[in-house]
Amino acid sequence: MSSARNLQDGTSMNCAEFQEKLPELFESGANVSQEEHVQGCETCSALVRDLEYIAAQAKLLLPIHDPSPVVWDNIQSAIRSDHGADSKTAVHSGKRT
Amino acid sequence: MNLALKTKSDNPLTENAKRGIFKTGGLRMNARPTEEQKPIQHMRRNPPIAGEAEAIAKAQAGDGHSFEILYSLHKRRVYSLCLRMLGNVAEAEDLTQEAFLQLYRKIGTFRGDSAFSTWLHRLAVNVVLMHLRKKGLPQVSLEETLEPSQDDGPRKDIGERDLVLSGSIDRVALERAVENLPPGYRLVFVLHDVEGYEHNEIADMLSCSIGNSKSQLHKARMKLRDLLRSGQRKEESIA
Ligand SMILES: [Zn+2]
Repeated sequence: MSSARNLQDGTSMNCAEFQEKLPELFESGANVSQEEHVQGCETCSALVRDLEYIAAQAKLLLPIHDPSPVVWDNIQSAIRSDHGADSKTAVHSGKRT
Repeated sequence: MNLALKTKSDNPLTENAKRGIFKTGGLRMNARPTEEQKPIQHMRRNPPIAGEAEAIAKAQAGDGHSFEILYSLHKRRVYSLCLRMLGNVAEAEDLTQEAFLQLYRKIGTFRGDSAFSTWLHRLAVNVVLMHLRKKGLPQVSLEETLEPSQDDGPRKDIGERDLVLSGSIDRVALERAVENLPPGYRLVFVLHDVEGYEHNEIADMLSCSIGNSKSQLHKARMKLRDLLRSGQRKEESIA
């Protein structure tokens, strides 16, 4: 798709070439911000910094959402009907202690 | 209910099993993870919980109260996972319910070879993926065509210093941006960056190639950057 684009100078890697390599670079575990191109290119260094930052922030996303109490009610009634008239008595309901 | 999303059972990914990550088919739990093979991020995210082992043992013996304890210990994590993968409260609640019902039916097969939470979360991921399969979306590979161009080639506007994100986004903004990702991107991003699954695991779960998983992840992060930057721009224009 973008392969032949911006290959004019041919010598040092340009932004297009670098950004094309970027997914692999990240996944290789290399220190991307130390890449030669990044050192000399403000655009790509900002990009790399942002992407690393996003990945780092994502790891900090905690489970902050709680399901509504209806979910547990539904689970209980489904379990009860699973058991039906089964000899095993169903799940104890509510909080008893 | 049959959990198998993908029945290719004899592939080299049994590596996963060694590391405590189990394929969906039979929720196999035979292999014991060795010290260095433990999935580090999963361990970090799944520290042992006080009272959990006892609750598991009792719930396995059919004690309903202990099952309720397990529910309270894990509901938030399972629900958050569903919500982030689906981006929809009603569906997330339905599938949380489904995941715990499956847990109820299968808890007897848990043998403690991996962390319980690792096992449960994988079960929940499978429930969500199965649901998405039934709905026929989002096929990760299709996402490439749904998302045109904008991530191809160099970005001319990137250098503006005032728009560098680093250090400036809060988690609420990130949550919101994740919600706004296209479904296929969101799946890979949540599984990899939030939940800590490896690309080979994701490829296996989604029946896509590892390369596809990597490229979806990259596109997801690029898209998030766009979303976050445009969010910032809006805030600035309001201020
Ligand atoms: Zn550049």
